[in-house]
Amino acid sequence: MTKDALPARRHIPPPRRGSGRFARRNRILACPSLGWLAGVLLAASPALAGDAPALPERVQFNQHIRPVLSDNCFTCHGLDANKRKAGLRLDTAEGATAVHDGRQAVKAASLADSDLWRRINASDPAVHMPPRDSGKQLKPEQIALLGRWIEQGAVYQKHWAFEPPVHSGPPPIRQADWPRNDLDRFILATLESKQLKPSPEAPKETLIRRVTFDLTGLPPTLEEVDAFLADTRPDAYERVVDRLLTSPRYGEQMARCWLDVTRYGDTHGLHLDNERAMWPYRDWVVSAFNQNLPYDQFIIWQLAGDLLPQPTREQLVASGFNRCNVSTSEGGAIDEEFQVRYAVDRVETSSTAFMGLTMGCAVCHDHKLDPISQKEFYQVFSIFNNIAENAMDGNALLPPPTLKLPSPQQTQQLEEFDGRLAQLDRRLHEMVAKLDYHDPALATNAPKTEPKEMVWVDDDFPAGADVQINPGNAPYQWIRRDAGPVLSGERALRRTGKGLHQVFFTVKDAPVVVAAGDRLFANVYLDPQDPPRAVMLQFHVDGWSRRANWGDPDAIAYGQKGTVEKVQMGPLPQTGKWVRLEVDVARLELRPDTKIAGLAFTQFDGTAFWDQAGRVSVNDPATDPAWSFAAWAKLEREAGDGAALPGAIKELLKTDPAKRSDAEQQKLREHYLLAAYDDPQSGLAPLRAELKSVRAQREALDQAIPATLISKELDQPRPAWVLIRGQYDKHGELVGPGVPAILPPLPPGEVTNRLTFAKWLVKPQHPLTARVTVNRFWQQFFGTGIVKTAEDFGTRGEWPSHPELLDWLATDFVASGWETKRFVRLLVTSATYRQDSRVTPELARLDPENRLLARGPRYRLDAEALRDSALFLGGLLNFEMGGHAVRSYQPSGIWEAVGYTTSNTAKYVQDHGDALYRRSLYLFWKRTAAPPEMTTFDAPSREQCRVRRERTNTPLQALLTMNDVTYFEAARQLGYRMLHNGGKSDGDRLRYGFRLVTARPPGSEECAVLAQNLAAERTLFAANPEAARQAVSVGEFKVPDDVPADELAAYTMVANLLLNLDEVLTKN
Amino acid sequence: MDPVNDMLLRQTRRAFFKRSGLAAGRIALASLMFPEWFHARAAATPRARTHPPLPGLPHFAPKARHLIYLFMNGAPSQIDLWDYKPGLAARYDSDLPDSIRQGQRLTTMTSGQKRFPIAPSIYQFAPHGECGTMVSELLPHTAQIVDELAVVRSVYTEAINHDPASTFILTGNQIPGKPSIGAWLSYGLGSEAENLPAFVVMTPRWSAKRDAQALYQRLWGAGFLPSKHQGVALRANGDPVLFLNNPPGVDPAVRRTMLDGLSKLNEAALYQSGDPEIQTRIAQYEMAFRMQTSIPDLTDISGEPKSVLDLYGPEVTQPGTFAASALLARRLIERGVRVVQLLHREWDHHGDLPRDLPLQCRDVDQACRGLILDLKQRGLLDETLVVWGGEFGRTVYCQGELSRTNYGRDHHPRCYTMWMAGGGVRGGVVYGETDDFSYNIVRDPVHIRDLNATLLHLMGIDHHRLTYNFQGLDQRLTGTEEANPVRGILA
Repeated sequence: MTKDALPARRHIPPPRRGSGRFARRNRILACPSLGWLAGVLLAASPALAGDAPALPERVQFNQHIRPVLSDNCFTCHGLDANKRKAGLRLDTAEGATAVHDGRQAVKAASLADSDLWRRINASDPAVHMPPRDSGKQLKPEQIALLGRWIEQGAVYQKHWAFEPPVHSGPPPIRQADWPRNDLDRFILATLESKQLKPSPEAPKETLIRRVTFDLTGLPPTLEEVDAFLADTRPDAYERVVDRLLTSPRYGEQMARCWLDVTRYGDTHGLHLDNERAMWPYRDWVVSAFNQNLPYDQFIIWQLAGDLLPQPTREQLVASGFNRCNVSTSEGGAIDEEFQVRYAVDRVETSSTAFMGLTMGCAVCHDHKLDPISQKEFYQVFSIFNNIAENAMDGNALLPPPTLKLPSPQQTQQLEEFDGRLAQLDRRLHEMVAKLDYHDPALATNAPKTEPKEMVWVDDDFPAGADVQINPGNAPYQWIRRDAGPVLSGERALRRTGKGLHQVFFTVKDAPVVVAAGDRLFANVYLDPQDPPRAVMLQFHVDGWSRRANWGDPDAIAYGQKGTVEKVQMGPLPQTGKWVRLEVDVARLELRPDTKIAGLAFTQFDGTAFWDQAGRVSVNDPATDPAWSFAAWAKLEREAGDGAALPGAIKELLKTDPAKRSDAEQQKLREHYLLAAYDDPQSGLAPLRAELKSVRAQREALDQAIPATLISKELDQPRPAWVLIRGQYDKHGELVGPGVPAILPPLPPGEVTNRLTFAKWLVKPQHPLTARVTVNRFWQQFFGTGIVKTAEDFGTRGEWPSHPELLDWLATDFVASGWETKRFVRLLVTSATYRQDSRVTPELARLDPENRLLARGPRYRLDAEALRDSALFLGGLLNFEMGGHAVRSYQPSGIWEAVGYTTSNTAKYVQDHGDALYRRSLYLFWKRTAAPPEMTTFDAPSREQCRVRRERTNTPLQALLTMNDVTYFEAARQLGYRMLHNGGKSDGDRLRYGFRLVTARPPGSEECAVLAQNLAAERTLFAANPEAARQAVSVGEFKVPDDVPADELAAYTMVANLLLNLDEVLTKN
Repeated sequence: MDPVNDMLLRQTRRAFFKRSGLAAGRIALASLMFPEWFHARAAATPRARTHPPLPGLPHFAPKARHLIYLFMNGAPSQIDLWDYKPGLAARYDSDLPDSIRQGQRLTTMTSGQKRFPIAPSIYQFAPHGECGTMVSELLPHTAQIVDELAVVRSVYTEAINHDPASTFILTGNQIPGKPSIGAWLSYGLGSEAENLPAFVVMTPRWSAKRDAQALYQRLWGAGFLPSKHQGVALRANGDPVLFLNNPPGVDPAVRRTMLDGLSKLNEAALYQSGDPEIQTRIAQYEMAFRMQTSIPDLTDISGEPKSVLDLYGPEVTQPGTFAASALLARRLIERGVRVVQLLHREWDHHGDLPRDLPLQCRDVDQACRGLILDLKQRGLLDETLVVWGGEFGRTVYCQGELSRTNYGRDHHPRCYTMWMAGGGVRGGVVYGETDDFSYNIVRDPVHIRDLNATLLHLMGIDHHRLTYNFQGLDQRLTGTEEANPVRGILA
């Protein structure tokens, strides 16, 4: 489109595709995906179907224009200076009105002089914006909005979410008898502005079921329903709410929602995905909600509990929040890379959870849509980069830093053990002090003891040995004297082959345990006609790691020469005669007590005969560390840093004996006598044994004490750089701690750390924290947040459906001292919450997502509430709180299909008994294979922070609630409850069951359907008793035996039907 | 006109009850009721489907309508299978020249090695087919179909360890949380299968005698997309689809009776509350019931003629083998399933490669050929894209001890080989080239982003334009960095 062809000023062009069609299309399209547009459309009179959509009288930049520009333009004309095209910036007024080549993108009040207008209306693809290959396309109504905005002066506004919330009084309303609190006045004012009316209050049964699910994650009991129905006091409902708020189930329900945000799981999440212990943190979250810990403290403790002065145990446990991220110990992974990943994850989680900011977009470059530069990202990163952890988690249950959590009883037991240990230690010292020790090594005329031989191989391999040859090698033979040379006994082992060939064995039991001075030996006879190039003895210690070689050192490729992997002993033994090969254990660096579990006879080429192999022990007190201090000192000194000794002793041993002071020498000697000297005459052994046993008991107790991952700050912060393109090893500018300039500044102080950051978050003038928090609570109770994009309050996030209400709630929450229970009470006692959820055709058309709340919330329950309520209705639910996670029923093979075979979560071992019926909050969460009962109903994998769940509706869900053992066993127990407690007649029993699951009595037609269904199932099972018996035997709970199986089976199927009713799966 | 409300307004209570029990009628109605209906209408698809594509998709005429992705988890050695390097034999045990290594990043498994001795492949290569592509003796069957394959020898990635690398190639990002390829395709293109999920995953067993690298459900997860797009595992043991089978003692008549009652009551509830979601739920229960028949029908291969079974090799009748899974893959796409993914584990041969690689190849080799030929003889190969490969390659130098008969290879992200066949792919080509050491790419590099852009392109999708707004960003399978379809392998 050329300039000449521009539409005349003050004229909004008709939509390009014809207004009638456009309007219809628009009505359909607008509803599901364009919330902000729905607002625009609803502003117009809904009755005038077929008209062009009315534009808002006054176009607001924040509400109307920024979303359009942000979606379509900011990627190339936004904040990121590196990606900016044509030097044009549209996110600021200065940028948009800057003059380029004599033209402006936006000229206030002049469409004709605004290049943006020309471009978005151009038909020439070379000129048209957004470019076709961007995949972006402006809708006609968006073009119209932009046009009117320019005409009205193209006024820019700062993004609303970066301005502190303003506490304004509730707006005036007409229907003054409807609101129950100020919250309702905001909702009503919007409804009235759109000529809508709120719905009547929901029936009492619906109401108590709704609020009981919302506050406890469970349905009400019939007794609770009846009590509420009977209570005619005006505050009967508020009394129910207050009762529920004091239930311990409340904390479980609130915690459950928070654990998605914290990415809580029971495994590391990466690679091996081993178990790790974070559950004390989970239990702390439950108790924090139950104790109504003020939410600002809730935030501070989790982000920085460890940095508070003299932190309490609870505050330390809470700081596990920072440790919930996935971690790895994959062989080959690089520490620095993962250190960076963990810190990035912590920044992303904290910014999403507390600020609704997508800071992760700025890892690689300036954020394209929000005012967060890459440098600012790394300033926040530097705050989260200082946790004293190892990059590799070691696949450990408790990678440090961790905190032990002994019970008072365990603390006392530990003290008792420590007392006993001290006493025993004292006695040991006393005995040593009385010893008159003389080192046999210093004795001049001590007799030498005779060497003793232990023969391991003679005539055969040791009993139980696993004997193997290399693939492709010729087999070995045991030959007798008539077939060749034999040294001892009846037989010798003959090996012949080409290249590298060998025979080797390992034993499971009875390995050879070496002592100091031992020598290992084997006899060999080399065939003079066909001598090997080299022969080798290999010893299995931890793997085949010790080798002694005779002959060509390069022939046999195993091991690195010059190390114990390949010690060169000498030339090839003489051929044609038996030669005894011997090697000192010291030469192979085999320390005393090392277990040798295997031996290999290895050759390169040639034929050899092997016979009689074993060990020679010298048994000389002068060289035995159990008797001689000097021998011990030599041995431990050679072991160097590998010695299992206290650090100070190890250091002393490294010094030259001649230069040691007397005191030092005495100290070493004393240590020897206390710990190693082993003359049976001394009487030290029983005392040491008792010490060892008590230590082991203490260790066992210590192991049984639960512990959890916590945060701990490094003494010296790690340096942080801007990482170029986000790559861990591409350092840019060095940065210190800081926060994005668009937000209030951090308070000045000597140090800036996580605690500074946490306190900054909860300052009243922070524009985001309180808003994001109350929005998430709103989402929890109404299904959708006031800002639908609960994870994104940035410019790309959705415009709030009720901006003033959001601010009012946020400021009210802060003013109340961040009191969560009070806030939750405010929501659930509002008239808005208490409305009937019935959808009229008019509302379905005008507000399909129920953003305006002209009706009560109605949507499918979350996965956990579904499972828990089935267990509850079947009378199976186990209310036990807290502790180690449980493994309930799970289809076979879920873990096995993915698990690393050596992972300790490779195989699913199901629990039994009461553990099967614990609340879903306590299900073991393996993050690479999360429980299918949860993920099928949209639970996230907990690999990263999620603040919002989808709510899908799929056939796989139907299969689950119909057939899963948990649900079917619950159906049987519900059927049994109906039979047992529901009255004498089928009619009474069916009514009872229906009331149990829905809280309301069934209508007459519903009764008829159920009765018909029961009759049909009864007929089917009566004809097939075996099927009935099978059907009632599902699950491990004891099958009731006081009811005929076919009758129970028929009731089980009716209960299965009831548990699958839409109304039962739904919060209504 | 708003069909949801029109329907509601027109229905009388009596009509609801009358219709019940007629599954077909309910489904026809239900298909109108899915949330995607709005999109379906806007896209003017000829027929309302239970799982229609997004409006405007496909972006252009697709070459392939189905994807079968044969993922070899653990990283097969390109040097021993596809990337023929005859010159290496003379360099046995010599050090990898620094000019080749270029100081590039190593895993900590070999970064401590004092030397990097070259381990030539001990396997023979020979030219095959009319194209003459060189293939290792370890893949004698696959070698027979090279004229159907585009062998890409120049794939590369940045990830160097299994977890991030598998996550990268299959979800477009090294960090968990993004949707998998199959989920993207389900989201974008919907499904043509009425009674089966759009995206099906199998994890066949393996033969190498070592600890298997882990898989992660995220490799077929939906990430931030609605969870209905996640891959559905088709299992060899237990229920073939989770919770598919009725509990013991519950036969189809019992289940049907329960469902009839359920539908009646749910319809009454729909009338009461007016919530269109109830209609969807009714339809999903009926779909679940139909799956109880359609899936056993799918897995029952007794009707397959011997000539077909023979194509896949002797293990085809053993559930849970790669061969059996490959046959099921064909049966799935025949039924309209959009994406089938087989994840075969334990190709991670750091040591004892000559012991384990032949076993792994034997698992998959004949079945790969069988699958291609079977698809071809049914005319399905033209509309099905088949992809084979792992998450990265392996080093030319030996990890651990090198001998004439034994060696191991470490991870190598800088080049490796994958192949593609079928819809829109030019057969009989070799694309890309590596240096004499199969260490660096010297011609036509293909980043895994390019590979994913190619897959999408063949399925009729411009990868720039398949997006989902999440956390303020238009998320793509190919991420934010440049990616281009590989034109050189397109038919």
